[in-house]
Amino acid sequence: MMTLIYRGIGLFVAAFVLRCMFREKSFWKQVTAAMVLIPLILRILLIK
Amino acid sequence: MRSSRGTALTAAALCVAVALICFVSARSFLAMRLPDPVAPAQGFERYNLSHWFPALKGSPGDSDVYIQDSGVPGGTVFIMGGTHPNEPSGYMAAVVYLERAKVTKGRLIVMPFANATAMGHNSPQEASPQYFSLDVDGGTRWFRYGSRATNPVYQWPAPDIYIHAQSGQKLDGGSKSNLNRAYPGVPDDSLTQQVAYGIIQLLNKEKVDLAFDLHEASPEYPVVNAIVAHNRAMELAAMVSMELEMAGIPMRLEPSPVNFRGLSHREWGDHSDALAILMETGNPSQGRLRGKTDAALAVTGKDKAYLKAAALGRLFIPYEGDQTLDLRTARHVTSMKMFMDMLGDVKEGGDVEVEGIPSFDDMMERGIGAFLSPVEDDRFDGK
Amino acid sequence: MEWFWPEGFYTLLMIGVFAFAAFVWDMPIAVAMAMAAITGAIAAGEGVPLRHQVEGEFGYVDTILIIATAMVFMKVIQRTGLLESIAAWVIRKFRGYPVLLSLGIMFIIMVPGMITGSSTAAVLTTGALVAPVMMELGVPMLQTAAAISMGALFGMIAPPISIPAMIIGAGVDIPYVGFGMPLLICTVPLAVICSLWLIYPYVRKPRDEASLEAQLAKMSRVPMSLRLFLTVIVLVVLLGGERTLPLYWPSLGMPLSFLLASASGLLSGVRWNPIETVTEAIDEALPVMGILMGVGMFIQIMTLTGVRGFVVVSALALPSWTLYLGIAISMPLFGAVSSFGSASVLGVPFLMALLGQNEIVVASALSLVASLGDLMPPTALAGIFAAQVVGEKNYFKVLRHCMLPALLTVCWGIAVILMAKPIAKLIF
Repeated sequence: MMTLIYRGIGLFVAAFVLRCMFREKSFWKQVTAAMVLIPLILRILLIK
Repeated sequence: MRSSRGTALTAAALCVAVALICFVSARSFLAMRLPDPVAPAQGFERYNLSHWFPALKGSPGDSDVYIQDSGVPGGTVFIMGGTHPNEPSGYMAAVVYLERAKVTKGRLIVMPFANATAMGHNSPQEASPQYFSLDVDGGTRWFRYGSRATNPVYQWPAPDIYIHAQSGQKLDGGSKSNLNRAYPGVPDDSLTQQVAYGIIQLLNKEKVDLAFDLHEASPEYPVVNAIVAHNRAMELAAMVSMELEMAGIPMRLEPSPVNFRGLSHREWGDHSDALAILMETGNPSQGRLRGKTDAALAVTGKDKAYLKAAALGRLFIPYEGDQTLDLRTARHVTSMKMFMDMLGDVKEGGDVEVEGIPSFDDMMERGIGAFLSPVEDDRFDGK
Repeated sequence: MEWFWPEGFYTLLMIGVFAFAAFVWDMPIAVAMAMAAITGAIAAGEGVPLRHQVEGEFGYVDTILIIATAMVFMKVIQRTGLLESIAAWVIRKFRGYPVLLSLGIMFIIMVPGMITGSSTAAVLTTGALVAPVMMELGVPMLQTAAAISMGALFGMIAPPISIPAMIIGAGVDIPYVGFGMPLLICTVPLAVICSLWLIYPYVRKPRDEASLEAQLAKMSRVPMSLRLFLTVIVLVVLLGGERTLPLYWPSLGMPLSFLLASASGLLSGVRWNPIETVTEAIDEALPVMGILMGVGMFIQIMTLTGVRGFVVVSALALPSWTLYLGIAISMPLFGAVSSFGSASVLGVPFLMALLGQNEIVVASALSLVASLGDLMPPTALAGIFAAQVVGEKNYFKVLRHCMLPALLTVCWGIAVILMAKPIAKLIF
């Protein structure tokens, strides 16, 4: 149950990171957001 | 450089890159969950831990357990490797028994990869190899090099603080996924606690007389090349330690601390009739002082950082440039054999006789690969 | 030379690429760290080890969730006006008692760190709460940020929860028991001195009462009510319950607790836009989250290439009298990648080098020294957030004011190690 909730939190954060990435005006800051997205996605999918 | 403009298009391109990176790394991570094939010696029957604790059935923690019964009355010995899958000599010693043992008196139970999910991933920032290989007659055997902890995907999130249920002892949250802090286990808690509970059920239901939990430790850690014995097992352990000393394979004897809870050598002894023994060999590939980290380090233990640390007097093992997996495994295998040979002396009717186990010198001379059987391994077809 | 080559070269190369990318190319710190990691791996003949890069990031996956959700919480209490109202109330109540006020403020900053074991939590919760109070009381902006940073560090190390101490203890199999007193000895004297040094001189000065009163009236435009306090109450209950009644309280973890507390802000009676608030929070947290990802890759590649062992054994190779110097310098410096990383990578070997003293006292003192890593750029988790809380863009200006307190902290840490035996005799 708690794992499911935390996957939800991960998804919540990832969604807003994605939103920030698309609103960001600097490419390299977009790269920073992309770096954050990778582990969030893999954890949400329970791969790693 | 920083002025490079970011647009929706660049963001979309980065999304594609993220997806690609996730896909490629996910394949590598998921492949590691495939089990290592083994070739049990004749007479072993395969079970799963859920046989003793049905709640584990179908769970990723439902580790394989093999039993060989000689049919001749005697004692029961339990050998467990893979509590910490980043300590390979522990599970390799169990595998040597699994693939070589011919039990002529009593029973032998082998659980080579105790924390099954810990075998299937690596700890972040440790840069551990995913696999290492050994040459065996007619081919190559691959084994996974795993993590100290249960795979977090099965018990996420870790608590901030781990409270050992029976004692109230507090440890850092990460320790909740350490099987050797989980005993005697909790039937309805996280996977690690359930596996620990299952193992205690096995020890009790199978009336195990002597139980081994096989580990490795960093060369800079004080309890290394050591036997840690529960108070009931001290007499036997002292006899074995002396015998090993005479054979030129010194293993220090340490009493199991009474106030450090959750560990096998303490809780197995307190919650079952087994004489509980934990053994540690010195493994440079898990130590904090190690240099370049790869599969070769796991197998050879060759490391220049450890050589320097040894010269500085920082190590608790004699280190002259290497510490091979053959040597570490041979230590475990030989020590266990001596324990079994002497078990009958301290426990009436507890004799267990096992044949086919290679000697220390044989393993050092020919390597442990010489005593493993070739197997079909779909994971490495053509590689 | 045999010792230096090639790991020492990789070390210099990785640091060099990082510094060049960050300061010459002006890349974000996160990207500069990732570039340094990739360069190190290529130089060591590992190619671009994608699996290692991604795996390294996972060392901080829980931490970034805490940071993201803590930032959401902070934005919520800002939007509801709670921060300013509380600040005004505290000033009105205690401005006649400057010593008490200084010590009280320091204690308030420390509390969340003591409970959560995270300096970030301290800075972003009560740190953010007291920042406007302190500045209104006359503490200059940079001193305010410095006091918050130091308080957050001491809070992180002070009992009941000190994660660096737990990490060091776990590395040598010491259970986290009996650490309370040693950790208090490590932190309380420093906290008292820092509050009297950084806060007291300013709050005791007389102020222009009329202007202060006008400011206070403006700050307390949202009337204090139970509903307004709901967010903080929910957070205190959730985090406090988990710590004080761990056997009976469900372990929700910090991210969920922060989010539930933030959600309760919807009931505060003040209107705010959740989507925009969360976006703003994540946008502000992203640089630090990214840095942690970069740091994760960096440590993994350091380990892979042997740089980590080179750094650790080089530190241990220092002659015995310089061992203490090594601790004093290398632990805070390595903390640049994170204080937890420093506790794990260096704290454990140092404790082993010091076996024979009282391990619990030594581990406590080492965790104190490791905590300074949270001031060390580029990560500087406590410092950068403290700068952000007071509205200072350039963290280095804050760092200047942390220098002397940090030096004092190191000296005290080393002193505690040297006195470990007598201290142990006294308290155990």
